[in-house]
Amino acid sequence: MKGPRSDLVLGSRREVRTVGLVAGISGCYASVLMSAADLVSVDARSAGSHNAMGVVLSVVATVFIAVAVYVAAVVIANGVDTVVAGRLRQIAVLRLLGADARSLRTAVVRGATTVALTGAVTGVLLGALVGDVVRSVLVARGSLHHGDYAWLPPLSVLAAVVITLAAAVAAWVGSRIVLRATPAQALLGAAVPPPDTRRLGRARRLATFGLIGFGGLVLVLAAALGEGGGGAGFLLAAFGAMVSGTGILIGARLVVPALVALASRLLGSDPPSVVAARNAVREPGRTTRSTMGLVIGVTLVTTFAAGFDALRTAAHSWDLTPHQQVQTDQMLHYTSVIMTCVVAVSSAIAAVGFVSTMSLSVIQRTREIGLLRALGFTARQVRVMITKESVALSATAVGFGMALGLVYGALGAQSLVGFETDGFVWGVPGVVLAGIAVAGVLLVLAASWVPSSRAVAIAPVEALRDAG
Amino acid sequence: MDSSPESVVSFHSVSKVYGHGGGAVRALDEVTVVVPRGGFTAVMGPSGSGKSTFMNVAAGLDDITAGEVYVAGQPLHQLDDRARTVLRRSHVGFVFQSFNLVPTLDVRENVLLPFELAGRRLSAEQQAWVEHLLAVLGLADRVTHRPGELSGGQQQRVAIARALAPRPSVVLADEPTGNLDTRSSREVLGLLRTAAREYGQTIVMVSHDPVAASYADRVLVLADGRLVGDHGAMSPQQIAELLIGFEVGVA
Repeated sequence: MKGPRSDLVLGSRREVRTVGLVAGISGCYASVLMSAADLVSVDARSAGSHNAMGVVLSVVATVFIAVAVYVAAVVIANGVDTVVAGRLRQIAVLRLLGADARSLRTAVVRGATTVALTGAVTGVLLGALVGDVVRSVLVARGSLHHGDYAWLPPLSVLAAVVITLAAAVAAWVGSRIVLRATPAQALLGAAVPPPDTRRLGRARRLATFGLIGFGGLVLVLAAALGEGGGGAGFLLAAFGAMVSGTGILIGARLVVPALVALASRLLGSDPPSVVAARNAVREPGRTTRSTMGLVIGVTLVTTFAAGFDALRTAAHSWDLTPHQQVQTDQMLHYTSVIMTCVVAVSSAIAAVGFVSTMSLSVIQRTREIGLLRALGFTARQVRVMITKESVALSATAVGFGMALGLVYGALGAQSLVGFETDGFVWGVPGVVLAGIAVAGVLLVLAASWVPSSRAVAIAPVEALRDAG
Repeated sequence: MDSSPESVVSFHSVSKVYGHGGGAVRALDEVTVVVPRGGFTAVMGPSGSGKSTFMNVAAGLDDITAGEVYVAGQPLHQLDDRARTVLRRSHVGFVFQSFNLVPTLDVRENVLLPFELAGRRLSAEQQAWVEHLLAVLGLADRVTHRPGELSGGQQQRVAIARALAPRPSVVLADEPTGNLDTRSSREVLGLLRTAAREYGQTIVMVSHDPVAASYADRVLVLADGRLVGDHGAMSPQQIAELLIGFEVGVA
């Protein structure tokens, strides 16, 4: 049976462009990393040496791509959820006119997946093109050997497939909200859907605490092993970080809304702040996903920066000649910069998602904002309200991510070089932390400026009339 | 108890209770009524009389506490959600107070929406019927317009075309003139009456407006969840007096 058109449920392409954009960035990122890995390994082979470096790079790149795709999936799930939430009224009408919830949900998934596929393919091709141009220049300049480099690394094509599949799964998760529209709501004419009051299941709670507990133990063990030396400690630390990180992600709904509520309480108690605080946690599921996307990004960047910073601090206490000291320091510095930039892409994906969720949720509240204005909110107060909501969310994400990253980074460094260093060394990468903070502020402005301008540009009467 | 083939909607001792214990509200209280095929029935009553519940139950949107409801010969009270969706899809049309057109679809696409949602292809006969409806409702030269480009009265005519297009067993109209000015209201009510008289379309309209109800050829009156009046066609004045009588009686 032919299902309903996806744009009936999902709206125009414009509303789901975040899905395409995020899939595109992931595709481009994957493609560039794969091209780089291909470049290193073919260059090494052409030079007649082992291509162990290429293999290692491929593995590392795959891990980074997987993380980026995961963040993209979180963003897509949230994007779909937000778009559909704004159309529940129309969905209720469609249900009343005879559409069943399942086929509407399928239509959402189909629409979002198509957009993601287009984005991913475009991104992969773009990334490959960038790789090809850079490589051609390097070969022409003689910096690289001539060799049979891949114009489009096969793994990039695989990445496009994986991104699309991840988007489909994410769209399915995000479209759960379709089920909240009942046909009877169409007759009520009430635009406010009942809130999502689902609580975390027992299994999920158990998994959360189990994974965090187990991961934590592994991390402690890894730190202890680091005192003995050998590579096992670091691998164990990576494993522990992944396990505990997964636990934190699964259980984020338990704490993130509370953290956001706490952060927003610090904003003040005047009416705009109070409304902002309530809005920030109105949809716990969406708040959590919107925040966790950023948390993953910030954690990754902080982990790498803090880890390398701790390594550098540790290296200062080592018994090295001044020349070795400088060399080690420089090597660590450059690697740190490159790694930080490479993982920062995940943060960028999360940031795109954050801005989009914020804008959409403000657009959907046009009527409500009109009401506030009619009740006496000034345009300035509306702006302040939206900005504060954005601050509460991003500050929570940045704070949470930084704290996690500092712990992971220090534990990672300890597990790697603990035996050569006295005590436990914390890495506090001041520049990077400041950079993240600045990026956070910019993000808040980007996420709140445009929608709040649009919100106050509409006359209150008009906003109230708009039945959506 | 069976429903005769000529009855499109029938309620047999239907009760609907919200809540329980001391706070229970009987939105429908032992309502028994049969709406035969063809004809335009108005359901009237003051706010809180059970009009909306009547509508929701007839549309299969709300479970009942006791009694039996048949729509198009099928026992709604025994069907699950999925079966009710299918029943609504093939036997019930809706006209709302707030039009509820899809803003991104043009007039023709809106009218064809029920077919699309059901995954049905239009037969030549249905195609001709849709074109006929669009012409009769004065929408023929607006088929490519979006709802936003139409007046309220025109939007409601599109909604009527959408409700009539699949030839449902019954069209349920919920305050269809609630958002319209006087002239558009008269137009819309005239069209509903025409649909009942000329096409034999069964229409059940919920309204609290005596003028709207005067277009119907049968007026049911609900008060406190009970069916307290079942009249033939009446003038607006008669209906208004009847309603005022109940309001005063209640107070």
